[in-house]
Amino acid sequence: MSELSVETREVGDVTLLYPRGFINAHTVRRFEQEIRKALELNRFKLVINCEGLTYIASAGLGAMMGSIEEIRGNGGDLRLAALNETVRNIFEILGFHHLYRIFPSEMEAIRSFRDGEPS
Amino acid sequence: MSAAREAGGRKERTAAPRRRAAGAKPDLALVVPSETHFLALIKELTKRMAEAAGFAEGVPDRLALAVDEAATNVIEHAYHGAADRSFEVRYEDRGATFQVEVVDTGAMVDPRAMPRVDLDRYVTERRTGGLGVHLMEKIMDSVTFQRSARRNVCRLVKRKDGEPEGR
Repeated sequence: MSELSVETREVGDVTLLYPRGFINAHTVRRFEQEIRKALELNRFKLVINCEGLTYIASAGLGAMMGSIEEIRGNGGDLRLAALNETVRNIFEILGFHHLYRIFPSEMEAIRSFRDGEPS
Repeated sequence: MSAAREAGGRKERTAAPRRRAAGAKPDLALVVPSETHFLALIKELTKRMAEAAGFAEGVPDRLALAVDEAATNVIEHAYHGAADRSFEVRYEDRGATFQVEVVDTGAMVDPRAMPRVDLDRYVTERRTGGLGVHLMEKIMDSVTFQRSARRNVCRLVKRKDGEPEGR
């Protein structure tokens, strides 16, 4: 099994990222690259669908933190969907659930951008 | 007592195997190359050792994360990303507690010298460092860093009595 793959998909002005595998110090560059690609295309509404994400270490959380100001400064946001219990727990330990909006499903995260809900 | 061992052309001193007390659970020590590729192995092994130590569901995953973070610190900070070094991970089920030591022979690093994590500042200042130590401290009951005989020892201890996390 690959350690991490990240597919992307666009739905209107929302970019969806699908990390599959785990994000740690070994795999984080791949994850960062996909976020950077979206930002370089001036796409600042991002949803990370975590359905296939088994685990995330601080390196992955740092990658999100490293881009969030640029994203929000351009009127966008980085939102998360479909976290498994392990990943959700890591977010909660760090208090990241106060910094990022988390949705049960991808559709709800996409809809939140369309409804113009604030970040 | 100690034993000398050749690793990557350098001599490293490691503790000689100790005789296990009657009834005590076995310990495990692992020498790991300083490559991030091996972090996944450390994580899986830690989870298994924590399960064997009797931790309830969910806790082994968090302990695995804490040890992953300690090992990442060694690779990135003590060894500055050099992939030709090695470090040791030692597991010990001490009955009331579960202890993991991550031992390296790299540069002296004092993670506690890093500024405390303030999530609001992380957003506004684009800071990303220090999260690993913060996670370790949230997950474990005790995290200590010691420098001794040119070795860094990060000791992580978790009680088994089910005290709440996230203090």
